Amino acid sequence: MSSFEQLKQTFFDECGDLLQQIESGLTDIREGSHSDDTINAVFRAVHSVKGGAGIFGFEHLVGFAHVFETVLDAMRSDRLAVTSDNVDTLLASSDVLTDLVAMSRAGETPPADYGNECRTALQQLMGGGDEDVVADDGEAAGDFDIEFTPVQINLDEGIAGEQQFEITFRPGPEMLRKGSDPLNILRELRQLGKLELTAETDRLPVLSEIEFDRPYIGWTARLETTRPQAEVEGVFDFVAGDCELAIVNTTPVPALDIGLPAPAAGETSLPSVDFAPPIAPEAEKPKAAAAGTRASEPGEKSAAPPKAAATTTRVELEKIDRVVNMVGELVIAQAMLGQIVHELPESVSARLQQTLDEVVHHTRELKDSVMSMRAQPVGAVFQRMPRLVRELSAKTAKKVRLEMTGESTEVDRSIVEMLSDPLTHIIRNSVDHGIESPANRTAAGKPEEGTIRLSAGHRGGRIVIEIADDGAGINPERVLKKARERGLVAPDANLTEDEINNLIFMPGFSTAETVSDISGRGVGMDVVRRNIQDIGGRISLKSERGRGMIIQLALPLTLAVMDGMVIRVGRETYVVPMSAMVECLRPPRSDIHDLVGTRGMLKLRGELLPIVDLGDLLDVRSTEAEGGGVVIITEAGEDIRFGLRVDELCGHQQVVIKSIEESYGSIPGISAATILGNGRVAFILDTEKLYEMAAIQPPPSAMAAAKYDAPAMAMRN
Amino acid sequence: MPVASTLKVLIVDDQNSVRQMTRMTLEELGISLVHEAENGVSAFQTATLQPIDLIISDFNMPEMDGLGLLRAVRGHAAIRKLPFILLTGRGDRELVVKAAQAGVNNYLVKPFTTAILREKIEQVVGKLT
Repeated sequence: MSSFEQLKQTFFDECGDLLQQIESGLTDIREGSHSDDTINAVFRAVHSVKGGAGIFGFEHLVGFAHVFETVLDAMRSDRLAVTSDNVDTLLASSDVLTDLVAMSRAGETPPADYGNECRTALQQLMGGGDEDVVADDGEAAGDFDIEFTPVQINLDEGIAGEQQFEITFRPGPEMLRKGSDPLNILRELRQLGKLELTAETDRLPVLSEIEFDRPYIGWTARLETTRPQAEVEGVFDFVAGDCELAIVNTTPVPALDIGLPAPAAGETSLPSVDFAPPIAPEAEKPKAAAAGTRASEPGEKSAAPPKAAATTTRVELEKIDRVVNMVGELVIAQAMLGQIVHELPESVSARLQQTLDEVVHHTRELKDSVMSMRAQPVGAVFQRMPRLVRELSAKTAKKVRLEMTGESTEVDRSIVEMLSDPLTHIIRNSVDHGIESPANRTAAGKPEEGTIRLSAGHRGGRIVIEIADDGAGINPERVLKKARERGLVAPDANLTEDEINNLIFMPGFSTAETVSDISGRGVGMDVVRRNIQDIGGRISLKSERGRGMIIQLALPLTLAVMDGMVIRVGRETYVVPMSAMVECLRPPRSDIHDLVGTRGMLKLRGELLPIVDLGDLLDVRSTEAEGGGVVIITEAGEDIRFGLRVDELCGHQQVVIKSIEESYGSIPGISAATILGNGRVAFILDTEKLYEMAAIQPPPSAMAAAKYDAPAMAMRN
Repeated sequence: MPVASTLKVLIVDDQNSVRQMTRMTLEELGISLVHEAENGVSAFQTATLQPIDLIISDFNMPEMDGLGLLRAVRGHAAIRKLPFILLTGRGDRELVVKAAQAGVNNYLVKPFTTAILREKIEQVVGKLT
């Protein structure tokens, strides 16, 4: 029977999964990192192997699995202690079970005494010859030697239990006139089951006042029936409007009441009292307390979630990407719809707009859900770093400790993938150049062991990754000297310390005086910076000489869709990423000051902020009168703010990011393009680049740097 | 007298292989209207929503086990009398005692032959035709 063979295969495949669950569950228990559910899950898995083996007639497998399961049952109901010896026996049993499954799969009959040693050990755990453990072999297939009388059911009578209803029925005055006879209804009711009727005559008037076509008598009925309540109610369908009617189900609640079996997971398992619950509630407390103490230890072994079977499913990345693309198209189509609705007369558009708002809401949620499917914890990259640090510190004979936090921060997987190189590079730099040798550290009064802290977290729609070390920091003199040597900075330029520190991001800059084995091969921080910028991120650094430095990466959460503000300058439309916007305002002309060497300064709440006219900068003439328009305060990096003057804000919307770099190369000030609701293409602005292009500087010393795609020179106020 | 070809049976087991095996055996008896459920919770939903004549359920399942399902069925007015056959493994006699207390109609020990399955079903619903 070939389908039987196929089913056998299915069973063995299931066994593969089950055996794995058993193995990993037991391993967790052995390591002490299990929850109460773990033992339960192992028990269930062994039981499933036994059940399937029973169906397919693998006697030996059933026999062994039964002994195994009995011990697990004792353990899960706290009748047997979880000691490492006991768990070792279980692990050995799991091996035997695996062997037995393998033999059965290969079509061999295992030798009768196979695994006997283990079996004996299991039986001993249960206190030697526990009846329950030994019992199974003696039974004839089919029945237990217990008194059991099958309960017969007559299906024709219906399967619903006998129910009792109390029915109060008072025909209204119009009932007879409408041609309905209450007696017919009572007859129909009688057909449903056992009916007891009581007539209510209290409304019967004196004879002289009786109208012949008016019913005065009401009835109270007790009905015992196996029919569902709906059928009882159905009897009154035609007279429902013409009578007083109450149908009450008075069926006594069965003695075995388990409460409403709400079909929710968790609440419904094992409601019985006498049947050994997975873990007795009293036993839960000490274990939970133990888990609590474990949680405070370092490492990730605490709070290990029970390995739930089949709560996740693997999906090809390509399929998810297809959904991401479709969501992108949906966002565009929806924007177009919005545009059309906007152009309709208000009488029509109002209702449409309401629905559209809902669609927008749902699309946003859809987008978030899909994006979360693509999201991956940054831990995937972080986990490679401890090894890197270990290797590097061994090579450089330095003592370095790596601390990581926020590994579970999630970000789109494409960003996780792109993070690897920059992070590796930065950490290399930190160990190689940042952290000093133990001797130097001791001399500087620091602990011998240097510390690198790697952390990740969400901050305002972005993910921020920080790499901080307590090393020597940047030596500004050395950086400046090198920059002058390479002609990166004019010989007479007068730079602040921050500006000097930022020079390390310039192309072709390497600070290591000797090119070491590890870093300093010319692939410098400029490449790191470009990598980060390519994915729409920002990199910034703070260094304190002798105390260490912090490099901060601020990255977008996703590369596919983002929130943007659509703006207009002249006849051009652009999109400013919402994540870069701080505020928008329409300042009076009097608040804008022309200062020599600047493009204008905006006085905002007592502070001066550089502003740039976007029309001027991108060479698209503004039609607006000078000084008009809207100023968007944007962020162009850590602590760097400036105003962007545009003609008009057109609205906030989700935009789909379409890369243009492949086709057109890198365009200054533009990070990507998008398609707007009217079907036109708009460029997405890169505020950081715009800031550089505007070359807003404290005049005029560092002009030279601008020529070289200068880093964002801090403009502190 | 129930007609095999119109008897609607719900098989409950978390293992696909066991469900298929049971289904195959039922088909040999001419019972082809077979529903399946993977655990007690979804079985209970099926039993309350679909016209089912007989449940054959395993005991050991995640979410809600066979005993839980039995109690849920017996506690629900509309399907209180639904015939319930518990599938057990050898050595699970204690369980059968509990199931009997909870109102199980019959039990069936794995492995079972077509003849035994017929016998067990007929003990509950009468001779199949």
